[in-house]
Amino acid sequence: MAITNEIYTVLETIVGKGYISNDPVVCESYRSGPGGYENGLGYERVMTTIPGCIIMPRTTEEVQKIVRVCYRNDVPYVPYSTGFYGPKSHPHVADALLIDLKRMDDFLLDEKHFYVEVGPGVIYSPIQEECMKHGAYVVIGGGGAQASAIANLIGDGWSPLSHRIGLPHRRILGTEVVLPDGEILRLGSLAQGEDPFWGESPGPDLRGLLRGYTGVRGCLGIVTRMAIKTLPFQPERLVPTGISPNTALELPEKRVKWINFTVPNKEAQVTAMKNIGHAEIAGAVTKVPLFWRALAKAECKEEFWDLWGKENEESISNFFIVRVLLIGYTSEEQMAYDENVLMDIMQEVGGIARRTKPSDESWIKNADSAGMWLMCGGYVSVDYVIETLSQATEHGESYADVKKRYTPPLMPDYGDPGWFQSFEMGHQGYSEFLVYWDQDDNTDGVDQFYLDTSKMNIKERFYTSLLGPHQPLYLTGPKYGPNYHTFMLKVKNEFDPKWMSHPPVPLAHDVFVNRAPWMQHMIDWEVPKDLPK
Amino acid sequence: MTKELKVRYYKPKSEFKLDIDDIQNFVYDMSRCIKCKGCTWVEHTYMPGTKYTTRCPSATKYLFDSYGAYGKMRIGHAMAEGVLDWNEKALEIMYACTLCGACDVGCKRNLDLEIGLTLESLRVKAVKDGVGPMPAHKVMTEKIVKSHNCYGADHKKRREWVEKDAAPSAKADILYYVGCNASYENKGIARATAKIFKACGDDYMLMTDEWCCGNKTFSVGMLDEARSIAERNIAEVRKSGAKMLITSCAEGYRMWKVDYPKLLDISTDELGFKVMHLLEYADQKLKDGSLKFKKSFDARVVYHDACSVSRLCDPWQPYEGKRGWMGCVEPRLKRRRGTSGLYSEPRNILNAIPGVEFVEMPRTRENSFCCGAGRGTEEAFPEFSSWAADQRLEEVKDSGAEALVSACPWCKNNFTRAVNAQDEKVQVLDIAEVICAAIEG
Repeated sequence: MAITNEIYTVLETIVGKGYISNDPVVCESYRSGPGGYENGLGYERVMTTIPGCIIMPRTTEEVQKIVRVCYRNDVPYVPYSTGFYGPKSHPHVADALLIDLKRMDDFLLDEKHFYVEVGPGVIYSPIQEECMKHGAYVVIGGGGAQASAIANLIGDGWSPLSHRIGLPHRRILGTEVVLPDGEILRLGSLAQGEDPFWGESPGPDLRGLLRGYTGVRGCLGIVTRMAIKTLPFQPERLVPTGISPNTALELPEKRVKWINFTVPNKEAQVTAMKNIGHAEIAGAVTKVPLFWRALAKAECKEEFWDLWGKENEESISNFFIVRVLLIGYTSEEQMAYDENVLMDIMQEVGGIARRTKPSDESWIKNADSAGMWLMCGGYVSVDYVIETLSQATEHGESYADVKKRYTPPLMPDYGDPGWFQSFEMGHQGYSEFLVYWDQDDNTDGVDQFYLDTSKMNIKERFYTSLLGPHQPLYLTGPKYGPNYHTFMLKVKNEFDPKWMSHPPVPLAHDVFVNRAPWMQHMIDWEVPKDLPK
Repeated sequence: MTKELKVRYYKPKSEFKLDIDDIQNFVYDMSRCIKCKGCTWVEHTYMPGTKYTTRCPSATKYLFDSYGAYGKMRIGHAMAEGVLDWNEKALEIMYACTLCGACDVGCKRNLDLEIGLTLESLRVKAVKDGVGPMPAHKVMTEKIVKSHNCYGADHKKRREWVEKDAAPSAKADILYYVGCNASYENKGIARATAKIFKACGDDYMLMTDEWCCGNKTFSVGMLDEARSIAERNIAEVRKSGAKMLITSCAEGYRMWKVDYPKLLDISTDELGFKVMHLLEYADQKLKDGSLKFKKSFDARVVYHDACSVSRLCDPWQPYEGKRGWMGCVEPRLKRRRGTSGLYSEPRNILNAIPGVEFVEMPRTRENSFCCGAGRGTEEAFPEFSSWAADQRLEEVKDSGAEALVSACPWCKNNFTRAVNAQDEKVQVLDIAEVICAAIEG
């Protein structure tokens, strides 16, 4: 239903006149395109539209009231924190209300119990700075330092620092959720009081509502408050230096240090990562795609293509790097011990330490995901997988084969499709695969590549973390389930019987494939007749 | 849907020029904004904590995405493609912006999009489309045409600031371009600057008939009028034979160094004379020993990086080229990233003055928060302008400073108003006045 003048007036009384607008110019500024994650792709063109109205609540109570008005009047709505995540976080149906949460930026740091409590308007880099002032640190998610911490944590929430800090389900503590119909749900210790120090509570762990790769898009409610676990860090200050764009954190070398190693082959990479985890040393252990190295060296996109154009499959296939971050959490002596252990491990696998700058350009405070668009303007992580370290490399090879079939329109990566790293002291191996394209090319192949990736994962029995929001539910559900899709839909129907919260998620990708003519020939699964049109 | 598809697919691979006269030159830049909001947040490496997180005054005050560069890029793109038209809100969005360049340097860390030029070009489009500038701007620009100053003051009184003990010469290598503000409002800055020249052993001259630099005319999008002023002023300086034009005004500095060449499609080097700000001059003289500080200036001091002597003052170079696959351009474009900003000079000077206890605010250099005065803001949006100064004043208070120093008379005015309104004890000074005090006592 359209947002009538009467509904608008009611909403205005909730937030005040200055925090709501249906002016077409203001609404245009909330368009998913023309830029953004997955920009220019079919999903964006076919599935997104500008909102009918924007509202900016300040408190959880205001969010509840807004949602109730929507539910009563059949107004679809979409929660929105920073707008960085592209088409999937923007309205998919006409006349939707976009709930911009940036005013909900409350922050509290509990130094004694090592957690911070944030609203959805709080991004990562301020959190990290406040933590470091108090001897603690958090992961700045791969989504970037500019990402809303809540949005990032319910979607993914990891980075190379997850080698030691761990995965987000361990770090999401007490959380407050406004359910699709406006009812409030408090998770963890918040269910019993005001102290959010603990994430679990009696009954089933309902943090799954937020996550499961459907919660990230607000399909099952809006997170308005979350406590995030922090961990102890070393005490010395990391000093910012340089003038943009060449800025970095200067590292106190006896307490924090990156070391880059070259190793003879992929097996050595995996062995080194496993052994580093087994020895319980280091703050991060990662292998980055080589095009990122070219990107870091280049002054501009043209220079990137000069550098990258000199590479080929042979040069790339013979270059193996392991990047290790050492942190002297407790003392300089601990740091020295860790470094000695690291050198022993690397010697065993034939690793050679390369000269590494005593600074941090990315990951500790500034996860620079935005800069990854520099060379072309179109970017997406098509797949990420959390299994074992050895499995990460196998998945990479399969993925590289599929990717090659779609290059172009994909940017050539010469067989190095992404990155992999150790999580939780080597207990998990993480791999993430990235694609880039030029929006001016025909991008149908990028859309199709997405789907083919999903089919590859099903065929090869790889567990993908992106099966929820990025793939048709009726393709993945029966294969991963056998009843994953029906379960998801039952949950959706239970919590949001009117499908007002970001429709048609979780069926949005199904709808896209059905609507886009260039995708339909790929449908080889059973599609129900009653999909939303 | 058909209408929307047209917007998304029309991506011309063609020749383009860094020319703000035509918004079509910036369709690519508007179409590639990814909403990372690097334009708005303080650069993350320098993020000072949960307070003072942003550097875009407009996005911080008005909150809706439409007021950030990311919103303006989407609005501008839709307008350039002909699917969205001006209305009152659109005009307000485009002009309730200080054009302070924070967005531009932020984007050029991430994506290298020409955000600053796009915003200027959108104002030019507003004027061409007959909707801009704002009524208050029209009043002001008429004053500039009639009286050659933005106050509408008597043109004959432009030199009234001159004092006998530091009077200009008829002929000198240095031409001091005073600007409207120091000529009429903050005469102390002009007098202090003249005394600094003399203390360093240099003569200076003035323009025979100094006119407004046209900063505000240019900034509100009135290009033809601004171009006439630029042509006239440059011709006058060339005629004078001066080797070096020095300003004590940040906005004037940017106009002469960057925007005059931009308007006339020449490079900064082709002006025929060097353009310097007093900051550069004093720093050089300090280094070569001609400027000596004999007196103590006992105060805890912070320095506010005025936008036009920091992220906005990279020299101008005309550019015409082609954009190809992945948006790469040829010939190679040396992008203006704000790295030529005068960041070290004021800090060198202030740290060299006996008695000065120099401290930094949380947001400095390219991350500074604009005072809110410049580029037509205070005329059309005085409440926004005051709000921005108040925001910055909070940082000054947090740093415990007794004196707030800047290198722009417009910043000085705006901060002085904020200090007076809050009845604060902070002293607001121009760096020329601080230098002069350290020379004279």
